[in-house]
Amino acid sequence: MDQKYISLRDYVGKALNAAKEEFPNITVIDSDLDTSTRAHDFAVEHPESFVELGIAESSAVSLAMGMAQEGMIPFYVNFAIFVTGTSWTQLRQACYENANVKILGTHPGMDDGPDGASHHANEDLAITRVIPNITVLVPSNEKEVMQAVKLACEIDGPVYIRVARDLVPERESKNVFVSGKAEIVESVGYDVVLVYEGTAAKQAHEVYDGLTNAGKKPTLVNIRSLKPIDKTLIKEMAKKTERFATIENHTVIGGLGGAIAEELSSFSNPVKLMRFGVQDEFTESGKTADVKKKYGLDSEMIVSSILDEL
Amino acid sequence: MLLNIAELSVKSQEYRKLIIKMIYDGGAGHPGGALSCIDFLNVIYQDEVDFSKKYRSRVVLSKGHAVPAQYAILHDLGFIAESEMKGFRNIDSRLEGHPHALSIPQTDATTGLLGQGLSIGVGMAMGKNIKKDDSQVFVILGDGEMQEGQIWEAIMEAGHYGLSNLVVFVDKNGLSSHCKACEQMNIDPLDEKFKAFNWNATEIDGHDFDAIRSAINNAKSEEHKPTVIIANTVKGKGVSFMENNPQWHSGVISDAEYEIAMQDLATMGVE
Repeated sequence: MDQKYISLRDYVGKALNAAKEEFPNITVIDSDLDTSTRAHDFAVEHPESFVELGIAESSAVSLAMGMAQEGMIPFYVNFAIFVTGTSWTQLRQACYENANVKILGTHPGMDDGPDGASHHANEDLAITRVIPNITVLVPSNEKEVMQAVKLACEIDGPVYIRVARDLVPERESKNVFVSGKAEIVESVGYDVVLVYEGTAAKQAHEVYDGLTNAGKKPTLVNIRSLKPIDKTLIKEMAKKTERFATIENHTVIGGLGGAIAEELSSFSNPVKLMRFGVQDEFTESGKTADVKKKYGLDSEMIVSSILDEL
Repeated sequence: MLLNIAELSVKSQEYRKLIIKMIYDGGAGHPGGALSCIDFLNVIYQDEVDFSKKYRSRVVLSKGHAVPAQYAILHDLGFIAESEMKGFRNIDSRLEGHPHALSIPQTDATTGLLGQGLSIGVGMAMGKNIKKDDSQVFVILGDGEMQEGQIWEAIMEAGHYGLSNLVVFVDKNGLSSHCKACEQMNIDPLDEKFKAFNWNATEIDGHDFDAIRSAINNAKSEEHKPTVIIANTVKGKGVSFMENNPQWHSGVISDAEYEIAMQDLATMGVE
């Protein structure tokens, strides 16, 4: 069966519209990019709850704090680099207050290939998950985007949702998205436990297939909630395997690889961890697929690196 | 019933003593800017903020280092206990060095990083419009803080959306942390700049209770634009050695200085 691929940003507006039915206090804040983030679908359905601020990212996050204080559930939707990076101290203040603000970043990692390193959000997971009080969700398919937006509304506090612009496999989830729970997507053995964040779903599935085709027995884990992270599942896996590999559309420092390293370091039995993603360097312009291939998200390279270890 | 001018004046005097005592007991703090904004903050809280209402006006102290002024008033209103007042800026206390709405919800907004409070106020004003709450949002800015870029994003937004429920006080005491704010980076002419961004702008003596009250009433009767009240104030107002002295932006108050300050404040307003 041929695998179909989708861009998760196409579900951003739909997810917000669906959540608005249940949470009428949702507002959406935009900085001149709603057609790119697909928040535009919400703007069309709910113009009274949609605020265009122009290109003023710092102000947008603080403004969301004020709206939250008045009982709204504000979603600031913009490219990942802006919602987490340009406005980092504003976000940190919102988290310090445990304000009920939601930030949704599209074009994460290298998903905005041609725009170059300035626009590549390869640090957003690292700089959000270090802030206390925030929940960091990394959905990997259509249903998870819908569920992550709903889940964000149910959480009384700041939430970051990272949504892929590039393609991910269209697939069904095994179970409902909840905060702090990962999903075992496939498992035929424990030669290696592959853990990925949603926007690297395509490469992770390719690596899983590559390893099984080579006769190896991997397990594939979709982390879904980077913070809180599923400590129970990681611990359970660490008992069964000698090797973890993380696959992320992000620097290998401080994001998914960093989070898994932190967890594994607390166990007495040694577990090897291979971290795949951007290797502490700035990227460059190029077709998204080319940039990913050159800067660490290359499934063939990952398969062969893991096979070398097995 | 609104307090009369004499009653407001007595309140401000008491608040000034609390500000000095809090900073003296706490070991350090920012007296200058707290003393300059206390008179209009006093009027805002006495006249405009009714904590018993579900939907009420809010106060965002964007120049968060002036927080002793806010704590003094919230103490007077019964939200901070006498026993808590000594804990300002110290461990195991709710009285953080800058406003933290999670510690003291009545502060309304977590500030401290200059430049962010006006955006929070814009968000509140928009939120009030969406939920059809006709109360106001008061934001207190420092004049030095006007050098922050995010302030101008928020000024643009409030003007663009004509947020008439937003009232900004600029505490124009003329001094930033070490010198004259205008020498460091000139922000004038403030009124013309605000007007160019589609705001009402008015300038008052920030220690004149009648002028403060009347400026707020004018702002509330405006239907199409946000209002800025540029309040000309004296940094360190009421304490002889602190007045117009940039060294008292922040500092440690010695025993001897504490005595002088309390004497100054005991006789303040008495000719």
